[in-house]
Amino acid sequence: MSSNNNKKWFSLNIGRKEKTSSGSCSCGKSSGGCGGSSNAHHMTNEAFTEAAINASIGEERTKDGFEQVFDVKMDRRSAFKKLTASLLIGAGAVSTSCSVISGDESKEKAQIDWEEQFKGNYKLMTDKEKEATVDRLVRSYQLRTGKNISMSSKNAEEDVLFGYAFNISKCQGYMDCVNACVEENNQDRNSQMQYIRIHEMKDGKGFNFNEADDNYYHEVPAQGHFYMGTQCFHCDNPPCVEVCPVQATWREDDGLVVVDYDWCVGCRYCMAACPYDGRRFNWSKPEVPESEINHNQHYLGNRMRKKGVMEKCTFCVQRSRAGKNPACVEACPTGARIFGNLLDPDSTIRWVLENKKVFRLKEDLGTEPKFWYFMD
Amino acid sequence: MKNNINMMNKIVCFSVFLLAFFSCKHHENEYHSITDKIEAESKDYHGTSISSEAYIGEIQTIEITEGDHTFLIPERKSQIKSYACTECHSKPLSQMKSKDIQKAHWDIKMDHANENTMNCVTCHNPDNIDDLRSLTGHTIDFNTSYNLCNQCHTKQFEDWKGGAHGKRIGGWAPPRASMTCVNCHDPHKPHFESRWPARFNTQKVKERE
Repeated sequence: MSSNNNKKWFSLNIGRKEKTSSGSCSCGKSSGGCGGSSNAHHMTNEAFTEAAINASIGEERTKDGFEQVFDVKMDRRSAFKKLTASLLIGAGAVSTSCSVISGDESKEKAQIDWEEQFKGNYKLMTDKEKEATVDRLVRSYQLRTGKNISMSSKNAEEDVLFGYAFNISKCQGYMDCVNACVEENNQDRNSQMQYIRIHEMKDGKGFNFNEADDNYYHEVPAQGHFYMGTQCFHCDNPPCVEVCPVQATWREDDGLVVVDYDWCVGCRYCMAACPYDGRRFNWSKPEVPESEINHNQHYLGNRMRKKGVMEKCTFCVQRSRAGKNPACVEACPTGARIFGNLLDPDSTIRWVLENKKVFRLKEDLGTEPKFWYFMD
Repeated sequence: MKNNINMMNKIVCFSVFLLAFFSCKHHENEYHSITDKIEAESKDYHGTSISSEAYIGEIQTIEITEGDHTFLIPERKSQIKSYACTECHSKPLSQMKSKDIQKAHWDIKMDHANENTMNCVTCHNPDNIDDLRSLTGHTIDFNTSYNLCNQCHTKQFEDWKGGAHGKRIGGWAPPRASMTCVNCHDPHKPHFESRWPARFNTQKVKERE
């Protein structure tokens, strides 16, 4: 990219690994002519990411936070919009002109990557745009891995508000829920990310999180202890949503608090704002062995995340919006976890709320979590 | 002139009042609490198009009505390997207890209440071994064996009917299908065993060092 170092925006050198000064044509090869080998215009993922980052934030990479916000020559989003079309055409043009046998697949891949790079916030998309995005991601996965996934963009159903109840007397601390959650939601295996924490608490000490152990490993239930689980409580007044500077997280109409992983900038304000430690950050690129990937995905749920974005429990949006129980509820062998529609007066969750002595954590904060605890 | 100022004052006051009045009508503060919101919004609940029926799968269910609650529970008899009991229990129980007859039910060790309170015939009907029997001698079908449990476990029964005790089968949406007592508890040994947790987070240990 030697000739483009001083440019703020990425220009028509897609498909080139490293432009040498002796390049005889636009495909970047110094000899042998264009289209001789597909390798030449095949970009590695890293190279592409690098190029895309350069294109999107360019010199801002070296700026600090303050400068990034206050020292922009042009509104970034509107710049993106204007650029997208031309870049797409440009990218298409280069790859077409350069490749004779490099195949439609790499062209399609490049096209998808560009569209993905410059797509809007999922929250603001129309249903059609949502569908297109999801189709694009499915196709992208297919092109990259040769495997099929199904990804849903199902919206919140009317007359549904999801709620959860946790029976402290029933939980035995088996952590089957944690297992199921990790598998269902394609959580990073390297960092052993877990949305659910089961706290082992001493009898007679109340809910003392400071003295509780959330990473025990001994036979359970341990004598003189009780267990309670925490995860994202899907607050009705979520502080994490308030603080997000780019509106990459929001509350859906069925009460689920979700994240658009592609819009998240990874500032972790939400992590700091959450009083319940419900959010997780990807410090590295999440990795799941291909054989363990859950192929039933939702855009807002368990689709593969990337490095540097927040994620969290979504009450298994890919399951719950289809009528299933979240994986943790299904996995719990003791029936300590109850999930359902708060607006349905005949639902079991409503019966629990109306007939058991329920409470929530840090109720005084006014976050209105939709996760109730109760005892037998 | 004075009139004009008066008039102006009134208009300003009125508009300030109006502004204050409307500015309080934020949508998010419509309800005092989530409980109020649930109550208000569920008043005209018409049901959803989401159904959990498909997830009940191949489990055969029967519909029961207990109090105000009607729901599905798994059919039991077809799940008991040695049912019907009369296939072996062809003679009166007293005769089968004799030494010359082949021993059976090796795997069953009673660990449910104590011997003073319970033995086999507290639940099983010695006169008709294919059925269960209540404390007062009424016949109880194996499919509705929860009626046997609820003689003592009344609190659990109340919770189970409402949905606070016992696991749901399928999903959260209607129709409701719930496990019955014996789907989770071995009636001869009803407590949950202690065991090791399903996983241990080694990364967390490192991070907290």
